[in-house]
Amino acid sequence: MKKILLTFFALSLVLSSCEFDKGFEELNVNPAKASQLDVANKFASVILQTSGGRYENWRASLIYQSVMIQHFSSTAGYWSGDRYFRNDGYATSLWDRYYPSAVKEIEDIKAQLTSEGNSGSEMGMTRILRVFIYSRLTDLHGDIPYSEAGQGYTNGILKPKYDAQQDIYMDMLKELEEAVAQIGSSTTMGAGDIMFGGDMAKWKAWGNSMMLRLAMRLTKADSATAKAWAEKAVAAGTMTSNDHIAMVQHTDGPEGINKNGHGEVFDADGNPRMSKTFVDWLKDDPRLPILAARRSDGSTAIADLIGMPNGSTGATVADTSIYAEPNRGVITGRDAPMVFQTYAEVRLLKAEMAFRGWSVPGDAKTHYEAGVKAAMQMLSQLYTNAAVISDAQVADYLAAKPYDAAKGWEMISEQYWAATLLNEYESFSNWRRTGYPTLTPTNDPGNVTGGTIPRRLIYPTGEESTNADNFAAAIARQGPNDFTTKVWWDK
Amino acid sequence: MKTKFLTILSSFLLMFAFGFSVQAQSISGTVTDDNGVPLPGATVLVEGTQNGVSTDFDGNYSINASNGDTLVFSFVGYTNQSVVVGSSATVNVSLQPDNALSEVVVTALGMKRNVKAVGYSITQVGGEELSDNKTTNAINALQGKVAGVMVTGGSMGAKGSSRVVIRGTSSLTGNNQPLYVVDGITINNSNLGSAGVWGGADYGDGISSINPDEIESVSVLKGGAAAALYGSRASNGVIIINTKTGAGTKGIGVEFNSSTQFDMLNLSLRDTQEIYGQGRDASKVSDAIDTYQAWGPKMDGSLVAQWDGVARPYTNKGSNLDKFYQTGETYTNTIAVSSSDENGSTRFSVTNLDNLDIVPNSTLKRNSFGLNSSRKYGDKLNVDVNMKYILEDQEGNPQLSDSPGNGNFAVNLFAPSVSVDDMMGEGGLGRNADLTEFRISDNTYSQNPYFAAYNFINSSEKSRFIGAVNARLDITDYLYLRGRMGGDRYDLHKTSSTPWGTAFQPNGSINENKSTFKQYDVDAFLGTDNLQIVDGLVLNAFVGIGTNVQEYDAVSKSGSDFIVPFLINVGNTKNQGGGYSYWKTKINSAYGSAEFGFQDWAYLTLTARNDWFSTLSLKDKVAPNNDLYTSASLSLVLSDVMDLGDTVSFLKLRGGYSQVAGGADSPYALSLSYGIYGQGHLGASLGNISGGTIPNSEITPFEKNETEFGVDLRLFDNKLSIDATFYDNETLGDIVGVSASATSGFGAALANLGNISNSGIELLVKGEIMRTDDFAWNASINYTNNTSEVVATNDTGGNISMDEPRSRNLNVTHIVGEKYGALYGSSYVRNDAGAIVHEMVNGIPIPKIGARKILGFGVAPTALGFGSSFRYKDFNASILVEGKTGGQIYSGTNAFLIRNGHHKKTVPAGGREAGFTPSGVMEDGSSITTSIPQSQQEDYYRRTYSIAEEAIQDSDYMRLRQLSIGYTLPSDMLEGSFISKATVSLIGRNLFFLSNSTDNIDPESAYNNGNSAGLEWFGLPVPRTIGLNLNLKF
Repeated sequence: MKKILLTFFALSLVLSSCEFDKGFEELNVNPAKASQLDVANKFASVILQTSGGRYENWRASLIYQSVMIQHFSSTAGYWSGDRYFRNDGYATSLWDRYYPSAVKEIEDIKAQLTSEGNSGSEMGMTRILRVFIYSRLTDLHGDIPYSEAGQGYTNGILKPKYDAQQDIYMDMLKELEEAVAQIGSSTTMGAGDIMFGGDMAKWKAWGNSMMLRLAMRLTKADSATAKAWAEKAVAAGTMTSNDHIAMVQHTDGPEGINKNGHGEVFDADGNPRMSKTFVDWLKDDPRLPILAARRSDGSTAIADLIGMPNGSTGATVADTSIYAEPNRGVITGRDAPMVFQTYAEVRLLKAEMAFRGWSVPGDAKTHYEAGVKAAMQMLSQLYTNAAVISDAQVADYLAAKPYDAAKGWEMISEQYWAATLLNEYESFSNWRRTGYPTLTPTNDPGNVTGGTIPRRLIYPTGEESTNADNFAAAIARQGPNDFTTKVWWDK
Repeated sequence: MKTKFLTILSSFLLMFAFGFSVQAQSISGTVTDDNGVPLPGATVLVEGTQNGVSTDFDGNYSINASNGDTLVFSFVGYTNQSVVVGSSATVNVSLQPDNALSEVVVTALGMKRNVKAVGYSITQVGGEELSDNKTTNAINALQGKVAGVMVTGGSMGAKGSSRVVIRGTSSLTGNNQPLYVVDGITINNSNLGSAGVWGGADYGDGISSINPDEIESVSVLKGGAAAALYGSRASNGVIIINTKTGAGTKGIGVEFNSSTQFDMLNLSLRDTQEIYGQGRDASKVSDAIDTYQAWGPKMDGSLVAQWDGVARPYTNKGSNLDKFYQTGETYTNTIAVSSSDENGSTRFSVTNLDNLDIVPNSTLKRNSFGLNSSRKYGDKLNVDVNMKYILEDQEGNPQLSDSPGNGNFAVNLFAPSVSVDDMMGEGGLGRNADLTEFRISDNTYSQNPYFAAYNFINSSEKSRFIGAVNARLDITDYLYLRGRMGGDRYDLHKTSSTPWGTAFQPNGSINENKSTFKQYDVDAFLGTDNLQIVDGLVLNAFVGIGTNVQEYDAVSKSGSDFIVPFLINVGNTKNQGGGYSYWKTKINSAYGSAEFGFQDWAYLTLTARNDWFSTLSLKDKVAPNNDLYTSASLSLVLSDVMDLGDTVSFLKLRGGYSQVAGGADSPYALSLSYGIYGQGHLGASLGNISGGTIPNSEITPFEKNETEFGVDLRLFDNKLSIDATFYDNETLGDIVGVSASATSGFGAALANLGNISNSGIELLVKGEIMRTDDFAWNASINYTNNTSEVVATNDTGGNISMDEPRSRNLNVTHIVGEKYGALYGSSYVRNDAGAIVHEMVNGIPIPKIGARKILGFGVAPTALGFGSSFRYKDFNASILVEGKTGGQIYSGTNAFLIRNGHHKKTVPAGGREAGFTPSGVMEDGSSITTSIPQSQQEDYYRRTYSIAEEAIQDSDYMRLRQLSIGYTLPSDMLEGSFISKATVSLIGRNLFFLSNSTDNIDPESAYNNGNSAGLEWFGLPVPRTIGLNLNLKF
């Protein structure tokens, strides 16, 4: 009996001297991952995430916006933007994808550069890209988490507040100004800069061009601020040729992330057609046979290219294959570039500045014509199979449809609408601001907008549970979480 | 070694000494129960003397008795047996139980304990309960049999995984399934692939590998006191499975078992309208390609061009479910050879299972080999070796949930005038002549069901080895050393492929994944058995240490866009990617247990265990990476010390308090890490943050505390037994994903903030209603009720959102103050009187979409089971009726059936032509007067799809779960043949419902076995099974 107790006692002594967790700290470190990566290794990834994958490009970009502003049309029931149906998952797809990827990563890169004490080109490039990412989100949804977003790990902010769009815009403009100033003559990003390949002049041009774009966005809400920043941007130096186009070059694989998100959609979805609104507008425009082709046989003969009216359904259209669809031989490829901002847009915005009598070298007509030319000739630069539009063709077009100062703003805006095909975020934003082109809404009984074209896409209702207070505050400030509520710069 | 030799030598000397002094001899042998299971602690007494001994752990004894003495063998719950000592020195005895209950239970760490001493609730079920009416996933046969244990499974196909929850869910977001211990070794039960909101296929779980034919007994340790010795992995209870040994075989025994089962659809479940055919807006020609819509006019037999342009009569084509699904078949054949002698026993078994699921082209082949050997070496050493080897091949695992690749989706939604028989296509198997998918819908993501079933590949090959060595060395009479070593290893190869020609992915894709999982456990403990400390106080105690190591690695390769169509090889793809993943964890433990028995009627058991977790270790971490937890339980056998009258034959009160630590399952969760993914882009590498959860470096394990007390009462000479348990447990510091807004960049942060409690009652009443020589009738009722409460979620008491169904208008959510797993989704807007508020849209009143509310709870709190077994001469029959009540289910299938015009509620009295006026009010409070014409009725129901409340129903049911009728050939018929026992039985499962509160679906539907119970989305129908079982013993 005593022996038993002694044995147990001895055992416990032995046990207590054992190191039971030897080697555990090392074991709990993932051997297949790194604790930090060089920014150059993260930059290409966040650019691709900004370009987006198939998911958000399908839902937010194409299913909603492209048909809302009548670039495309579709009879398929799930193309909700054509007849203004509510599909929560589709409408919130950009938000659902951007925040956990592009936003999170860009904030991580910015935090890393800050902690490394980097205030040079890399920081400038990061801040410009960051503004671009947030500009898409705020233009689409209105007030959004901005100053506190993406900082779940770095600052432990789990429920970011929604900043007022006005504050976001003011901060973004300031960011661009400071960022451009930080850009030097070279960068250590190396191959990570898949947008401009280390060409710092192009980064500066883009930074200032974004400033121009965001400034012009404010013409309805705060014209004075718009004027001040637009003039500042022009003075600082915006894009000067199609070589400055801000875009991401994609490849046909090897994986989804490498491919153009729109291209992947066109692979999977044969439903979109060219909208009648757009095709009719492109009458006599040399771009028509490049952008469109007939669904049934791919013909690009002008007589064969008919646009399908938005709002069509299986009941009103027996055979959709007679209509034109986005040209699958030219613009729908998985290796097509994803365009963030074009030189054509810059010239057209300058035309608008001139139209308004703001300080910009050159008159509206010159800028208008240069913008049209750039928009036409960029196609062959962007898309491998696009036919080159010659200077003569451009001239013919401009002669047939000359710039008319009386309807200057309308013409500029309509050209802008055409030039931003497949950059539907920008197209939708500019249409809301200018009201041009004049679009006739569809009127399906199932629409949730009272027969009007939506003015924004809705917030995810999940925020009601995960970020209740801030969500409620945003709605109280901006208006109900509907498709018809206008964002600040649209009011 | 020296000690052993000395011990043996001294034994011999002692024997000789005794032998010379008295004319007595040493009689030895084994005492077993009627099944051959050894009875430890049985008493062997020389009648009329004080000379008595107890049997050891393996039922062996050794006593000195003279020729002519009578040895009396006794054990509580068994009838005494007397044997006169003769010339033989070996006397083996098999005691017959007083009643059907066995008094020895297998508790933690393989300790066999007398039920008297056990201070907590433990239920033991014989192996035949799982093998007589066997299911392809063995654990599903336990449904409805054990109070406190809720088993759900079956709507993920024959190969699907199962969900077992004991005493309510203890973790808000973590693992809630119990620990499975097979022959003393913990096995891995992770799910090998499951369907989520975006679809996917279920590849089964770990427990499905265990062969039901080889199960001897199952012990369910439900509470903390029972499971405390298994450590943190047992925080949800432990299910101990012991496989058959050869013990009790006379000489060499051969057993052959053959079972054939057929699974058939229960067509009565679905009751949809058969009046209106395909169409939209009351027109049969609009949208011919939209085959899911049933808003056309009345079917009148006229010809109409269908989705493929072919004109067919506009009539009701009958049930597409019946046409598409086939009768499932399962053939299981087992041969086992066993032998036993006085030094041990051996059993070797081979089982072949061949299953054809109800979905076409879905098969399962499983070959299991088992070898169990139990040996005694000398007097002191016992070694058991248990090995299992399982080879499994699954083909055609059906995809569930979201529509891509999910044939179930289409089959459930075709309009009545559409027949799936017409969908084979010119190329056969759902394909056009050019072998692309023969499309049946305008949405590329809606799959032709035959194309999905015959061309999509979701297959796996698995080989699994589970092995254990248990050894026990008796150092002295009451000091022993035990060691266990065991491992579980599986190698899995999964292939999934979207075929060339699929509408949503024309060039197809393929993914190959090879993974290996290894787990091994080593334990050693030193203990005492039946040590008398002082008079009347007996101690059973042990102290031990152990380690558990788990390691996993997987290599995958994927490719999209096949170069050569139909050459299914990942090398034959244009765009290739791949990956590698790895993890390893370790838990080291030290534990001990002491059971004090006072005068054979009062027992106090104390345990303590400390676990060290590698998953909680991090350099510079402040919070500890280990946890100490204890338990105490008390058992009082009042019937042994009080006179309770003749009616009461046994009364035991038991109770206890326990703590178990848990959680901390995931490695590498304490710090943020980055990874390189993909294959670069234009020469740049792609790196990003790994994971979407914010790590927390100060995580600790959660603590689950439980109080339980119970009563074990047996009346009328053990004919009626009542076992009731009340329990109350609380999990503190549950590791929860503190929900973060997605705008933080992450979905959640980890913190020890969760707190969930469960309390409930388990009741098991068993009775022998009648027993004569020819006829016996036993019945049992088991009742479980569990009430859960989410006490705390996170720092702000916010909701924790779990899974959502594909309609994305509802989340399974944990809300403070409510029960676990609320179905929180969009609701109707109602006025104060409860009337539904409508708004005018395009001239018709449509319900408004309201805010999210709690619409129900996905976990049913109450389960009830009634079982009866009969024996008449050589016939036996048993029946089990069981059901659940109190839970709700969100049915994606019904949401669609309503939206698309199939559900009977979309046909108003008087038909659609008469129009219908919705009940409810308009926004201004006025009652609705507008009658919605037939052409617009679909707009009304389209809106209801966005309102989750519409698809919520109670999931109460009561069904005939099992029925079996068997016949054992009388032994005189078998005389002369080499067959020693032959039994034939007819079995049935899920035969019919006595009540069912859901429409059109099985109330037990789910598409995965995760924590988000209550979501149904186009899974497989749960079939009825009928089968025949033949068992021969030679």
